[in-house]
Amino acid sequence: MRAGRIALLRLAILAAALAAWEAAARAASPLLYVPPSAVVPALGRLLTLESYPDLPASLALTVREIAVAYGLAIAAGLACGFALGLNRLLGRAFGPILAALYAVPAVVWYPSLMLFFGLDAASKIAFGFLLGFFPIALAVLAGIRQVSPQLVTVARAFGARPPTVFVKVMVPAMLFTLVGGLRTGLALTVVGVIVGEILGSKAGMGALINHAYGLFRTADYVALVLVTVALVVASDALASLVERRAGRWTES
Amino acid sequence: MSPGRPAVLGLQAVSVGALLGAWETAARAGWVDPLFVPAPSAVAAAFAGVGAPALAGLGDTLAKTALAYVLAVVGGVGLGLLIGSLRLLRDVLSPFVIALYGMPKILVLPWIVLLLGYGPTPAVVYGTIHGLFPILVLVIGGVRDVDRNLVTVARAFGATPWQLYWKVVLPAIVPTVIAGMRLGIVFCLLGVLVVEMFAGVRGMGHVLGALANGFRAPELFAATALVSAASIVIVLGLDAVNERLSRWRG
Repeated sequence: MRAGRIALLRLAILAAALAAWEAAARAASPLLYVPPSAVVPALGRLLTLESYPDLPASLALTVREIAVAYGLAIAAGLACGFALGLNRLLGRAFGPILAALYAVPAVVWYPSLMLFFGLDAASKIAFGFLLGFFPIALAVLAGIRQVSPQLVTVARAFGARPPTVFVKVMVPAMLFTLVGGLRTGLALTVVGVIVGEILGSKAGMGALINHAYGLFRTADYVALVLVTVALVVASDALASLVERRAGRWTES
Repeated sequence: MSPGRPAVLGLQAVSVGALLGAWETAARAGWVDPLFVPAPSAVAAAFAGVGAPALAGLGDTLAKTALAYVLAVVGGVGLGLLIGSLRLLRDVLSPFVIALYGMPKILVLPWIVLLLGYGPTPAVVYGTIHGLFPILVLVIGGVRDVDRNLVTVARAFGATPWQLYWKVVLPAIVPTVIAGMRLGIVFCLLGVLVVEMFAGVRGMGHVLGALANGFRAPELFAATALVSAASIVIVLGLDAVNERLSRWRG
C-alpha cells in the first residue's frame, strides 16, 4: 500500500518535471530548452542512425577507452594498494602522498595528459585510468586495515603459508571493501573518459556531443546525452551485479 | 615492529629525489621529448614566467569556487535536513537524488554554457551542482541514521520540534556535514576548473588549457603544480579543522 503510494508519487514528480520542461521550452526559446516532445523524435533519428551514422563506431570507441582505462586502473590500483598495505614502511611513506594526490581535483592534470598523449584515445584512457586508480588503491588499503590480525595469526598458527593466508583469509575478509572500491573506480573511469572526450577529442561520444552542441542541434545533443547516460547506467548495473555476487560469496 | 619516523621520512625524500633525478636525466639525455616532458629544472625556471598570470588565474578560480562552495554547502545541508527528516519525502526523492548524484554532470555542461554564456556564472553554477550532490547524499543519510533513541527520549521529555533539531539532530550530524564539506570542496573546485577549461576566458582552468594548446610544457607543469599544491593545502586545512573539532566533541 505504502510502497504503491511512493511509486505513484515518484511517477507524478517525473511527469510534473517533464510537463514543466515542455511548457517552459514552448514559452521560452525551444533552441535552448528542447521540449521532451522534440527529444523523442531526435532520439528516434539518432537510434535509426539518420542524424549520426557513426553513432555505433563512436559508442564502441568510448566503451573501448573505458575498458582499457579500467583494466589498467585495476592492475595498478591493486598492485599499489597491496604493496602499500602489506609493507608497513612503504605504506607509511607513500600512503600520505597517495591521499594528498587524491585531494587534487584530477582535471588539473588533463591538459598535461592531452599535451603528452595527444587528442586521440590515449589521453582519454590516461585520464580515465587516473580517476579510476585512486579509489581502487585506497579501497585496498582500507580493506587490508579491516582484516583482523587475529585471523591472520590463527591461520599462521595452524601452519598456513603466506599465499594461503592471503587467498583464504585476507581476500575474503576485505572483499566487500575491495569490491566497493572497484565499483567506484569503474564509475570514475567512465566519468574520466567522458570528461576527457568532452574537453577535447576527435572521436567518441564526447566528440558527437560537442558537434551537436556546437551546431545548435540541441535536440540531437539531448538525444546523445541520453544514449551516454544509458551507457553510464549499464556500466553501473554491471558493477552492482558483481558487487551482489561478491556479497553472496562472502556470506556463504 | 613499526618503522620509525626517520625511516619513513628518509624513504619519502629518497624516492622523491630519485624520481626528480631520473626525470631530469631523462629529459637532458633526450630520452623523452622535452617539448612534452620538460625537465624539473625547466619547470622550476618556468615558475618565474608563469607565476603572475597563474596566480591571478588561481585567485579568480578560488573566488568562484568559494561562492560555489558556500552555495553547495548551504543547499546541500538545508535540502539534506529537509529530505532526511521527512520520511515520505525521503522515500519518494531518494532514487532521484542518487541518480542525479551518479550522473556525470559534464553531460549537461554544454547546455549550461549555452544558457549562461562564457562569464563566471556557468562556472559558479556548475561548481555548485558538482559540490551539492555529495553533501546532500551524505546529509540525508546522516539525518536518517540519527539515533532513534535520542529522538524518542527528547520527545518524551517534551522537546519542541525546534529544540529537537537544535539540540539533538544538528549536533548528531556534525561529523557527516564535515565529511560532506571535505568532499564537497574538491568537487566544487573540480567543477569550476572543468568549466574554465571547457569555456573559460579567465581562471586557472583557462590558463592550463591555453598553456597546453600553446605547447608551453614547462609553464603548464609549473601551473599544474601550483594549483595542485593549493588544493592539497585547502583539503589538509579542512582535515586539520575537522580533527580539532572531533577532539573538541570528545
